[in-house]
Amino acid sequence: MKILTLKKVLLISALLGLILILVMILSITMGSVKVGPYRSISILLQSILGLKGAGTETEKTIILSLRVPRALLAGLVGAGLSVSGAIFQALLRNPLADPYILGVSSGAAVGAIVAILMGLGTLSFGLPLASFIGGLLTIFIVFYFGRQEGRIHPNTLLLAGVIVSSFLSALIMFFLSVSQREELRTIVFWLMGDFSLSNYQAVRLIFPYLLFAFFLLYAHARQFNLILSGEESALQLGVNVERLKLISYLGASLMTAASVSMCGLIGFVGLIVPHSVRLIFGPDHRLLLPASAFVGASFLIASDTLGRTLFSPVELPVGVITAAFGGPFFIYLLRTRKVVKIL
Amino acid sequence: MRKRVLAGFLILLSSLIWAPHAHCSSQRFKDEVGREVIVSFPPKKIVSLAPNITEILFSLGLDQEIVGVSIHCNFPEKANSKVRVGSYISLDFEKIVSLKPDLIIATGAGNTRDMVERLKRLGFPTYVIFPKNVDNVMQSVGHLSQLVGRENEGAEIIQDMRRRRERVVALTLGLPRPRVFLQIGEAPIVTVGKNSFADDLIRLAGGNNVAGNEKETYPRFGMEEILKRSPEVILISSMNPRGNYQKVLQEWSRWKTIPAVKHGQIYLIDSDLIDRPSPRIIEGLEEIARILHPERFKKQ
Repeated sequence: MKILTLKKVLLISALLGLILILVMILSITMGSVKVGPYRSISILLQSILGLKGAGTETEKTIILSLRVPRALLAGLVGAGLSVSGAIFQALLRNPLADPYILGVSSGAAVGAIVAILMGLGTLSFGLPLASFIGGLLTIFIVFYFGRQEGRIHPNTLLLAGVIVSSFLSALIMFFLSVSQREELRTIVFWLMGDFSLSNYQAVRLIFPYLLFAFFLLYAHARQFNLILSGEESALQLGVNVERLKLISYLGASLMTAASVSMCGLIGFVGLIVPHSVRLIFGPDHRLLLPASAFVGASFLIASDTLGRTLFSPVELPVGVITAAFGGPFFIYLLRTRKVVKIL
Repeated sequence: MRKRVLAGFLILLSSLIWAPHAHCSSQRFKDEVGREVIVSFPPKKIVSLAPNITEILFSLGLDQEIVGVSIHCNFPEKANSKVRVGSYISLDFEKIVSLKPDLIIATGAGNTRDMVERLKRLGFPTYVIFPKNVDNVMQSVGHLSQLVGRENEGAEIIQDMRRRRERVVALTLGLPRPRVFLQIGEAPIVTVGKNSFADDLIRLAGGNNVAGNEKETYPRFGMEEILKRSPEVILISSMNPRGNYQKVLQEWSRWKTIPAVKHGQIYLIDSDLIDRPSPRIIEGLEEIARILHPERFKKQ
């Protein structure tokens, strides 16, 4: 394995950051109403720099109140799901792991559905809050049942998570079968993931959670590398393995809960992005985590942009795009890179 | 008589509530879910977010004022030439913004509250209608006609609807009420419960909805339950007049013990006429009444 230098991490991060910025700009120039790339960008720059000038009120509303917050939220969620996916894959030492595997998403869904059925959706941020609480509760339940003698065993945790998750799925199906047509639509849309109601407040609300969790996890990046070569040897190298597992579990779960609370269950990003990044840049977490964040953000913004423009005026659920375009690309990576270095 | 007085009183009361503020061009309205909406009066650019709203607006003669409609709006023909602004569940906010409407009308039975709030935050007055039965439809027509300053047209439509409704009720008065099963879904079989429009229509048309006691608006029924309730008439609501009617009919023909099947009392009915709370719902009512009591309608 080549030695990873700080310089390389910074360089690749900067490059991926640049791509992310390009994708964001592209995303705000596209939509069902034509504004024109040059005009869109100048409207954005003006508002950032606090200037006045080009662009009608209508164009400003479209760019600044609809497209920009949507791109920001999609970017945050994409980054959050990708980083937590990478961590879950390492924690559980399982290539099939994704942010939803331990049931956080099902818990968040139950929270959201209960909120919809109780009419809490009428309160501002009632639904995201309920879903966040549902996710957090699930994190603790799974953690409680997933430990043995005070220690986290990946397989026990995985089983506990999968079982809690299927129990919650039963609840979801029960709620779906008893709900009315109008509620049903809201619920199904939430389960498919939807960015159409994004706003700056949502961005502001989840940003601190994601930032905190990211730095918490990134501070332990080197230790994640060690633990992958086996808990025993990591212990010998002075890693507090139990503490590391606890932090990674809580950090990644928090990231997932915060991400899905605002936009529902967007599938596939958290599974495929970390794997793709590993295939391209290698498995070192010091690079894997920031690279996953940038790639995940770019990927989800691009997918959402396609989703809202392909069949406009009707929007496709973003999950359709992530799976339809992400799947084949991932297969291509698997075929061309030959060696599957999962962990 | 008492009803008339009450209705007159209500109209008086509502005219007091919605009295225009004398010296300003914007007016304050309360919509059907209790939200306050301030509309520049009369509105010149209206976006409709549901088919029934589109139908009401066109029937009020707002052909020019309507600038955008949902993708589900297919009636009247003129609606097809308007800009499409997305579906119930996924609105195309950009399109709406670009149309610069001064009034958006949404439905409580489809558009979510989040959407409505979002439209309001974007600076568009958004009025929500939420009719729950046939009489509510007339009220909604009244509300919308005031909202857009077409009270006369509105009153005419309401009068026509009321007259036709009374006629159906009068013609079917005292007749035996056949047990009716209205099928709105094939697999699984879904019917209409207590709080649905169609239930109201069946009752007004002189029928007895076999699922009329179900609390759920659109309950799912197993075949056993249908056999037990043995409907005398089966109505199949169809979006597509020719569709797979033959196939559904064949499905039913297996159950000869159901009176409706035995006597060939299975009919197709245009779903737009019975589940769309627009003035055309009266056509649906007349259609159902004709099916349930053909003898009373032949003479006319």
